[in-house]
Amino acid sequence: MNMFLHELKAYRKSTIIWTCSLIALVVIFLSMFPAFSKEATAFKEIMKGFPEPVRKALGLSVDSMSSILGFYSYMFLYTTLCGAIQAMNLGTSIISKEVRGKTADFLLTRPVTRGAVMTSKLMAALTCLVITNVIYLASSSIMASFVATEKYSYKLFFMISITLFFVQLMFFSLGIIISVLVPKIKSVLPISLGTVFAFFIIGMFVATTGDDAMRYITPFKYFDTNYILKNSSYEISFIITEIGFIITTITASYFVYYKKDVHFA
Amino acid sequence: MNVIEIKNLTKSYGKARGITDVSFNVEKGEIFGFIGPNGAGKSTTIRTILSLIYPTSGSATIFGKDCIEFGPDIRKEIGYLPSEIFYYDNMKVIDLLKYSASFYKKDCSKRITELAQIMDLDLNKKIDDLSFGNKKKVGIVQGLLHSPKLIILDEPTSGLDPLMQQKFFELLEEENKKGATILLSSHILSEVQRLCTRVAIIKEGKIIKLDKISTLQENNHKKFKIEMKLKIDENYFNFSGVTNLEIKGNIINFLFSGNINFIMKKISEIEIENLWIEEPDLEEIFMHYYEKED
Repeated sequence: MNMFLHELKAYRKSTIIWTCSLIALVVIFLSMFPAFSKEATAFKEIMKGFPEPVRKALGLSVDSMSSILGFYSYMFLYTTLCGAIQAMNLGTSIISKEVRGKTADFLLTRPVTRGAVMTSKLMAALTCLVITNVIYLASSSIMASFVATEKYSYKLFFMISITLFFVQLMFFSLGIIISVLVPKIKSVLPISLGTVFAFFIIGMFVATTGDDAMRYITPFKYFDTNYILKNSSYEISFIITEIGFIITTITASYFVYYKKDVHFA
Repeated sequence: MNVIEIKNLTKSYGKARGITDVSFNVEKGEIFGFIGPNGAGKSTTIRTILSLIYPTSGSATIFGKDCIEFGPDIRKEIGYLPSEIFYYDNMKVIDLLKYSASFYKKDCSKRITELAQIMDLDLNKKIDDLSFGNKKKVGIVQGLLHSPKLIILDEPTSGLDPLMQQKFFELLEEENKKGATILLSSHILSEVQRLCTRVAIIKEGKIIKLDKISTLQENNHKKFKIEMKLKIDENYFNFSGVTNLEIKGNIINFLFSGNINFIMKKISEIEIENLWIEEPDLEEIFMHYYEKED
């Protein structure tokens, strides 16, 4: 418990900053909705002027944009981008920061197993992600109800919003496995930003091809908002893949961390 | 009873440095010195018995328990001061010490204030703002606050001023009197000489000598300094048992180990102006072991 609380405290500041950024993002985007929906037909004309691949890459869907959920799911792509960076940062830093700060020696000479160290860190980071998501969900719900011009399904709104957490989990576990495999990470940000943007750009390409198999490559395409809006459900094969991916990476991370030599920084 | 037993411990890092076949025991209640130059394998050995790194072969036990299998259990009674000091960002000294104490199931707050007072450490400063020497003090307090039965120190005094070193040594001696066993790794020989009863010398990953300090100092070597009346043959003293032979004009310096009568007869055969015979300090013995191995 002491390690969990210590870790939680360590991530407090960054969690607050990331949560605020996400809130700012959703507030700014959604506040544009009233103006947008008023001029919906004009915007549709403009958008039709864009070549189709560009529209697909940007996630613009002409027909649904005038509804609050359609508009929200368009902006949500950027929310997940932001959230993915937060999760990847967390995942990559929880182990590597001990190496950088030379605190691994301190922590691992205490009477605790490495498994316990890892678990406390995982739980603390997960708690931060959950807190971020809860606050994000609350503030985006309030904002959406403010700007909505007509009735909308809160269930669908919730289903879309919560995929932020699912995407974050994937980047989080990816970050962890990287942080135990790479002997010394000098700086977390280049790694997390690089990885997240690489997957984001892959996601844009995948969108233009429309190839379903390709969607398995990038976490950004696991939860297709159009599919959720149409079917009120997630695609089960992607859920299974995600769970499989998370279990594999986390188990592997525990294993590697147990066997790892902890050297001088 | 042995507190630490190291058996044929080997750790190889591919081609790079490591340790080969290191074996030694540290007995309960002793202060054991572990000396060797930088990169000889002192830290590697210590990190292996703390299971921070895993041995390629061989094993080590602490308190009679395997140091990997029972690692967490053993570490309850170990205080460790690493050679490089860690810090958590933005943490106050007292917060770090409290965090450290929270791992042990005892109340350490009194001991923390006591130790901080002895080491003259300001508990309310941020660790980031401390000088190297003061960070070292944090490390010392952290290593001792739970009154461990085994204290492992990896080059503990670097960065401490002489006064603090003195206080620190007194602190260690006090802990030792209370029953703590101490493993002290160092390349500063005077501090090993000052504190330790036995010493192991490590070089290029191998233990090359293990003995009582007193034996190392007294029985084996004498330091000779002879002032000659006349110049003699350079090789007059060049026989087995003599090392570190140095001739500077009329002055001859060397270390001798072996039958003292033999060397006295040798000296009596020549005309001398003056003669000094001294106990060599550890440094000289130590250099001697090193040079011999080259």
